[in-house]
Amino acid sequence: MLGSLRPASSFREAGGVGSPRLLHPGAWWAWAIGCAVAASRTSNPLLLMLLVVASSVVVHCRRPDAPWSGSFRLFLRMGLAIIIVRVVLQVAFVAGQGNTVLMPMPGIVLPTWLAGIRLGGDITAEAMLTALYDGMRLAAIIICLGAANALASPSRLLKSVPAALYELGVSVVIALTFVPQLAADIERVQAARRLRGRPARGIRALAGAAMPVLEGALERSIALAAAMDSRGYGRSGHVPLSHRRAISTALLIGLVAVCLGTFGLLSAGIASWLSLTTVVLGSVTGIGAAWVAGRRQIRTSYRPDPWHMAEWCVLASGILAAGVFVACDMVGVTLSTATYPPEWPTLPLIAVAGIVVAASPAWTAPPTPVSRRSAPTPESVPA
Amino acid sequence: MTTQAIPLGPRSLLAVGLLTIVGIAAFAWPLIAAPHSTVLAHASDAPLLFAVLMPLLLVVVLAQLADGDMDAKSIAMLGVLAAVISALRPLGAGVAGIEPIWAVLILGGRALGPGFGFSLGAVSLFSSALVTGGVGPWLPFQMIAAAWVGLGAGLLPELRGRREIAMLTGYAALSCLAYGFVMNLWFWPFTAGLPEQLSFSPGAGHLDNLSSWLRFCTVTSLGYDLPRATLTVATILVAGRPMLSAFRRIARRAAFQPRTNFDAEPPKEVVVSP
Amino acid sequence: MIIFDHVTITYPESIQPVLRDVSITIPEGELVLVVGRTGSGKTTLLRAINGLVPHFTGGTMTGRVKIDGRATSTHAPRDLADLVGVVPQDPMSGFVTDTVEDELAYGMECLGLAPEVMRRRVEETLDLLGLVHVRSAPLRSLSGGQRQRVAIGAALTSHPKILVLDEPTSALDPGAAEDMLAVLHRLVHDLGVTVVMSEHRLERVVQYADLIVIVPGNGEQLQVGTPSDAMRVAPIAPPVVELGRLAGWHPLPLTVRDARRAAGPLRDLLVGHTPHLRPISTGARELVSLQSASVSYGSVRALCDVSMTLNSGEVVALMGRNGAGKSTLLQALVGIGPAPSGTVRVINKDPRGISSRNLLASVGLVPQEPADLLEATSVAEECRAADRDANVDAGTTRALLALMAPEIDDRMHPRDLSEGQRLLLVLCLVLAARPPLLLLDEPTRGLDYPTKARLARILSDLADAGHCIVLATHDVELVAEVADRVVILAEGEIVADGPTSDVVLSSPMFAPQVAKILSPQVWLTVDQVATALDSRDPIGAAG
Repeated sequence: MLGSLRPASSFREAGGVGSPRLLHPGAWWAWAIGCAVAASRTSNPLLLMLLVVASSVVVHCRRPDAPWSGSFRLFLRMGLAIIIVRVVLQVAFVAGQGNTVLMPMPGIVLPTWLAGIRLGGDITAEAMLTALYDGMRLAAIIICLGAANALASPSRLLKSVPAALYELGVSVVIALTFVPQLAADIERVQAARRLRGRPARGIRALAGAAMPVLEGALERSIALAAAMDSRGYGRSGHVPLSHRRAISTALLIGLVAVCLGTFGLLSAGIASWLSLTTVVLGSVTGIGAAWVAGRRQIRTSYRPDPWHMAEWCVLASGILAAGVFVACDMVGVTLSTATYPPEWPTLPLIAVAGIVVAASPAWTAPPTPVSRRSAPTPESVPA
Repeated sequence: MTTQAIPLGPRSLLAVGLLTIVGIAAFAWPLIAAPHSTVLAHASDAPLLFAVLMPLLLVVVLAQLADGDMDAKSIAMLGVLAAVISALRPLGAGVAGIEPIWAVLILGGRALGPGFGFSLGAVSLFSSALVTGGVGPWLPFQMIAAAWVGLGAGLLPELRGRREIAMLTGYAALSCLAYGFVMNLWFWPFTAGLPEQLSFSPGAGHLDNLSSWLRFCTVTSLGYDLPRATLTVATILVAGRPMLSAFRRIARRAAFQPRTNFDAEPPKEVVVSP
Repeated sequence: MIIFDHVTITYPESIQPVLRDVSITIPEGELVLVVGRTGSGKTTLLRAINGLVPHFTGGTMTGRVKIDGRATSTHAPRDLADLVGVVPQDPMSGFVTDTVEDELAYGMECLGLAPEVMRRRVEETLDLLGLVHVRSAPLRSLSGGQRQRVAIGAALTSHPKILVLDEPTSALDPGAAEDMLAVLHRLVHDLGVTVVMSEHRLERVVQYADLIVIVPGNGEQLQVGTPSDAMRVAPIAPPVVELGRLAGWHPLPLTVRDARRAAGPLRDLLVGHTPHLRPISTGARELVSLQSASVSYGSVRALCDVSMTLNSGEVVALMGRNGAGKSTLLQALVGIGPAPSGTVRVINKDPRGISSRNLLASVGLVPQEPADLLEATSVAEECRAADRDANVDAGTTRALLALMAPEIDDRMHPRDLSEGQRLLLVLCLVLAARPPLLLLDEPTRGLDYPTKARLARILSDLADAGHCIVLATHDVELVAEVADRVVILAEGEIVADGPTSDVVLSSPMFAPQVAKILSPQVWLTVDQVATALDSRDPIGAAG
């Protein structure tokens, strides 16, 4: 009965793949990381472009209607910037290798006391293509992660923070809540400087407004802490001291193991499988101890994001895409395109299949609900 | 006696130390790895391994720090200062190293203790990444490097007055440059397309790689690191004293970790000293 | 329910105890009002109920505080969170999340309640407090009254037996304050919650209280009693009680209705007398002129076609709901905010054209948050900076401050001052250059009666000296005390503009208690009645 009284803007209905809701943010990030891993395995420009297209399709279809989801365009621009910078660096420093000269340009060799670097030189197709493919790979990784930024709200991600990091999660939530207040405070205090006969614009005004805003923010943090304490923040079940000691010892042992494993990786003569296993075991121990430490909290979660079939599907698509690319690498299917001499890029079908799987969340994830945004009321405008 | 908003007990100190050791390996493996070690043999996979490892370790260490010693006051102050840093970060607009955040981080770590400085570095870089929409593979490394800057600020020796400001400006200059150089280490192995003299080659010896790296840093990031260091030093010189006294005043008013003493007999006396 | 047993509390930095040997018992289901001057220890008393004192603040506590059998010496605030709900003075500062629903659920999450229970309680609380239509709204977009209700709801969801509120109506306009008090009344009478609140604006709350605790301050003994008993001896009392004491009414009336029933003889005594008003000085010159001024924030019009003139020697009160445009009008007079269309002239100049340096000599504004103007680390430094900014002789501001608030010490940090002291400090800073026009935005928030009386005297003196003073306020009693003229704004337009007695008497929302009691006669303050009674002669004065 309560469900029928709920207004349309409550969109966290538990449901199957069909009904509109927002996907668990962890699923989106896992998918994005899978795509990024896939992108890092290849330098084939066609595959990279297809990956970017797949990400864009998913973002376009499943982007929630919220202010923070407009950031995908920024990431696309960032990707483009990375490609351009990479090509420019190549032209400036490493031009002149290869045979197909596109544009002859003068080059100088810096004297040896400046490390004998070669600047400029003829622009060759081989060098340009290397730079292009390299830049595209980096850009594709960034864009895949940018897709997760746009699809999964940062503050909802904080709700899914593991229990061991709950305290720090709360401080991040506080920080995110405070930032707009700070911005409003700075504006107000800066304008108020005029009331004391001081300039209200410019760097000096900003600097003068900084101290009152900072002090006000610090005082408010104490009031906030008192309010949190009064509402029961930090209640935990009673765990005997010996348990806590044991957990933190396990944590430290895990860290020591990782240390030793890393030392082994960095030194010659120690078998790689030994070092790697030590590292993995150490991490698992540490994470396990942290997880157990989090269990002692008695906090519950109000309307936690559900993890249903749709989340598994999205997660699987990310893992599958990454797995396909990694497997191709190992099996020997070429995922890179040679540049010396330049060849036309190929399109291995299995990799394309992997990319199609990566794009599947555009259909398997539930559609996003339409949310109502409240218009500014007269009361919210300064009186 | 400096206040310790988040106390660093022996276990926490050990955890932070271990993280530092692994962190040094994660950042500096191109420079310190032995010639025929595993990591150099798989030089293109190593960044991936460390990119996965470092966030996990950061989670573990932060969990250890948080283990029962972070009360509402530390969390609230952490959140508020992280908000201040997050609000400052977009101000630079990515322009050549104009990052006003380091002064706040260093002064906050100085006034509120090394544990707080460590947590502030990690949390504020994370929240500012969320605010500016820049969550990427570089984030765990930035968090650890900033956490080190905050930790170091808290571990500086006890001095007051002008000598304190001088010490802090020196530390600021060093740490800003060090941050830049250390973050360069992170993506240096990716830069395959640069001239030999600047790029990383797994086969070359330690000294060669070190000099290549130094040249790389000088060429690419002094445009970033020097402005960052200059801005931070200038901020501390101008606003260091008022900011430190504001932090210390609030730390006094907040009364971190009041110790309680209970008598068993009536009239009950509860002595709580901040 | 709440038992204080010989409790003495001393803060770490001070030698004198704030509360000495307090022994009071508060039974279940009562609405308790804690009354006292600023700094008397009211907040300490309230914080001792849920253990914030001494666990959070530090200090020494002797004696026992028992809340429903649990002693605060052995229970930290978080252990009492299921029993005591706290609503802070500034609700925004206590919010941990950023939407209404999450905020309501936060307390329950900390207590570890099951999700179904949480879900049910959130829905109940939304219904109880009328917040259903804003359930997913970000907290920043809510009005002051709505935020206060969310804060109450957030404290209520854990079903506490005791609710503690620190000055809940201080930032609210009269309408929102009435709504909130009605909610508290319902909580006590319908749901059996024990409500303990402190409040300065006694005229709003004293009729709802079941029990009054008077905190005299300086470690003196607390006095507890029913409202009629306590108000007979309370050092601070609302106008209805002061009038009752003046006229010698028994029993002492606490509401306007009771007072009207007893006021017959007093009205007869006052027939033929008129209230003594402050004389308007001759030679008044026009200082401010607004013609069809309009200000818009984006698509929202904050001021529509406002026209008025202000002369020197006047005290003008700007009244109206929150959001009516009062602050916008004041900001337009100093040149802050969006550029207004129409004409705004302050001493024949456009305020936006006056540079900051020269602004102080023409007009001074004390903003809603006086602390926004404080940048220095000591009072003496602030005064010296004000002397420099205003181009006056060194020491002028400090001398002014010594006149207005002699108890403020030079070395104190400005942010450590009480609300009233901070207001007076900022007033001095702004008056350093003796601007002919003085503006104050909501000056009485958080001020107790003695400080308000001091402020009223200062403003009258300034008006007598030729300044023009504009006050934007909700406080009807202060307006009755000090204003000559009242301008009422609604939705950015002027709906009333005239002498105080005419305007405030025409609307029940803005009429002071004395006027409501003695109507149809025109009396605004207890002082006016007292002066008239003193000057009574058998013949009676006319005019």
